[in-house]
Amino acid sequence: MAIAEEAIITLEEERGGGPHALAGNEMMGAEMVIQVLADQGVDTIFGYSGGAILPTYDAIFRYNAGNPDKEIRLVVPANEQGAGFMAAGYSRSTGRPGVFLVTSGPGATNCVTPIRDCAADSIPAILICGQVPRAAMGTDAFQEAPVFNIMQSCAKHTFLVLNPEELEATIRTAFRIATTGRPGPVVIDLPKDVQNWTGKFRGEGYLNLRGYEKRFARLQAMRVSDDSMASFFHMLEQSERPLIYAGGGVINGEAATELREFANTLGIPGVTTLMGIGSLDTTSDLSMHMLGMHGTAFANYAVDDCDFLIAVGSRFDDRVAGKVHEFAPNARGIAHLDIDAAEIGKVKNVSWSYVGDTGRCLDDLVRYAKKTGFKKDYTGWQRHCAGLRGNHPLDWNRKSEMIQPYYVLEELNKITKGDAIVSTGVGQHQMWAAQYFDFKQPRTWLTSGSMGTMGFGLPAAIGAKMANPDKVVIAVDGDGSIRMNLGELETATTYGVGVKVLLLNNQGDGMVRQWQKLMFDQRFSGTDKTMHKKDFVKAAQADGYEFAERLHVNEVDKVPETLQRFVDHDGPAFLEVMIDPDALVMPMVGPGKSYREMIVGDWIKPRESEGPAAQMDGKTKADLF
Amino acid sequence: MSSTNGAILETPSITKHVLGVLVENHHGVLSRIAGLFAARGFNIDSLTVSATEDSSMSRMTVTLTGDTTVIDQIRKQLNKLAEVITVEDLTEQGLHIERELVLVKVEYSPEKRTDLIEIAAIFKAKSVDMTPETIAFEISGSQEKIDNFLTMIAQEACITELARSGVVALARGSGGLRKSFYAD
Repeated sequence: MAIAEEAIITLEEERGGGPHALAGNEMMGAEMVIQVLADQGVDTIFGYSGGAILPTYDAIFRYNAGNPDKEIRLVVPANEQGAGFMAAGYSRSTGRPGVFLVTSGPGATNCVTPIRDCAADSIPAILICGQVPRAAMGTDAFQEAPVFNIMQSCAKHTFLVLNPEELEATIRTAFRIATTGRPGPVVIDLPKDVQNWTGKFRGEGYLNLRGYEKRFARLQAMRVSDDSMASFFHMLEQSERPLIYAGGGVINGEAATELREFANTLGIPGVTTLMGIGSLDTTSDLSMHMLGMHGTAFANYAVDDCDFLIAVGSRFDDRVAGKVHEFAPNARGIAHLDIDAAEIGKVKNVSWSYVGDTGRCLDDLVRYAKKTGFKKDYTGWQRHCAGLRGNHPLDWNRKSEMIQPYYVLEELNKITKGDAIVSTGVGQHQMWAAQYFDFKQPRTWLTSGSMGTMGFGLPAAIGAKMANPDKVVIAVDGDGSIRMNLGELETATTYGVGVKVLLLNNQGDGMVRQWQKLMFDQRFSGTDKTMHKKDFVKAAQADGYEFAERLHVNEVDKVPETLQRFVDHDGPAFLEVMIDPDALVMPMVGPGKSYREMIVGDWIKPRESEGPAAQMDGKTKADLF
Repeated sequence: MSSTNGAILETPSITKHVLGVLVENHHGVLSRIAGLFAARGFNIDSLTVSATEDSSMSRMTVTLTGDTTVIDQIRKQLNKLAEVITVEDLTEQGLHIERELVLVKVEYSPEKRTDLIEIAAIFKAKSVDMTPETIAFEISGSQEKIDNFLTMIAQEACITELARSGVVALARGSGGLRKSFYAD
């Protein structure tokens, strides 16, 4: 009764390529790791060495000495968390998995946050952690941590390499899992003695994950049936006000081109989630920009008005859907396209769904429309949307004598014109950046959407700039967020990475303060930083920034000229702008509220037909997050 | 167009489900599956793991109670794990065989001895250990049968120790998890 499949298999796509040039060679485990990374096209590793990963760091040194024409860059951060977000920035801006390599124990546990962050936003990444030798595992050895247990709750998948014969297949399989289906981070826990083991390099082979492969093959083969196609277009035909609601899945699934083609061919306007920014060109006529808690008023009005919602790679997250059963209240139908079956019907029941590659589905829908001569005139609805955009734009106090954050970002956007890569921390500055910047292309907006990790912006910008040396990369940060990974300021100058760090300083944790103002009777518990002593400009100068300047809160007239010099500076640049500390992020749909309860603040024009604004005085108990 | 309601607002009927799950026989798979249930707040009634006819696979049987939306979500989440080979809801498929093994020890007063042994005979439970004060029974069967047996003996004596194996289950007839995985 010895039926059992092989543990290591050759995948279809590997066949026919001939053997690897190094197949059959004796190699150390550590050398195999680096060789497979090189074979996967890895050109940069972010990481921090230490006892349990020493053999693999040594293997990088030796690989680079032996392959001077295809060296792998090694970027050492101040803290392993920084390495993780650099890898994430690399990945988010290119679509290729970022790789980070750290030691056991604290090295690995410092990576928990970036791993969870990547998983929550479906970002492919590979983390290799050293581990104590197999014989020492479980003995509470020096720098031992139960990485497999910790990481498996956070990552898409986690491997612990106990059998060295499976090492090279494991590394390859990690890339396979990270990049197929719904992408995500994969962690490899690698005992030191496995790195030091010597064996024959095969140069091919994957771990046999038959269920995963079968489900993936099914996803790949998934096409929209003619019946299903007909039912989609029947709903569209009956609709007068269809609206696209695009999420991060469009970016991660490389489906922006197909989405734009779909929108343009059928004349359907679209809103995007925070993660979906860049899937539609925000400067195009059909773009209604971001919806949700801090979406634009016009986007949220469009969601309220639409009668058919087409969700593409989005998941009705609480920051979008608010009060779920009042989300898109006039939509008589919802179509949902996603790579992950578990997202269909998870939050909101839908009337039409497709599980698979969203780009292919959109492409099929466009072809079907052309083939059947589907025509429906949505110009009235398009005019309605343009009217919403024109009548309820983002706005702010343009007469203020204090620098308003919106002004800084509007002026910066005039310089970068939607072509820069922008990363952010988390909080008010993140929402302002999402609202006020234009994004013409996908993968130019890098933000910690689902996890909301403060400290993401600076290291992510460094990773993105290393992957895109010819692009302008701007880290927009707040004073709270930048402190979280301030050590990485130095990493940019150490490696000559020309990121532009724009710090919008409001002397506190502005977003939390905004909630305290609206929901906790202005009790600013733990969020005031006016007594903090940090001189950020001196800190940047100390870290080697040749451009390190500050605009005081009353220097409104100096903003445009300073921003121009900041962007034009050749090399890393740091600009701190002291902003009006009372500036709010508006509009705001309170947690668990419906869009009808959106508050727009003092400067955005509300719609008269809207319901009463939400009561957000100190008496509202904010159980919802 | 049909109207749409929030899925979380619906209240479909709550029923017992038995999931058969084949997984790769790898290090840490049990912990991963258990971790999924814990992290997503899915309550399970029992979980068993064992070797199968194929040494590269393990089989898990999960019993849980919930509405169809929750069960559907659990199946989908299980299907996202790389080491899960296949998941089937044996209850949904209709006919399945389900058994649980139980060892139960009771302290009894002498006049109840015959009653206990009679109850055991009716339920086809075996006495597997006996002292002047205690009897241990072994019983296997469906969860319902076992629950009934335990209720009956608890009326006659004091249960001092109880060990339940958790449910194992197979589909009836020619089907099977492994077979249907390879069939399509």
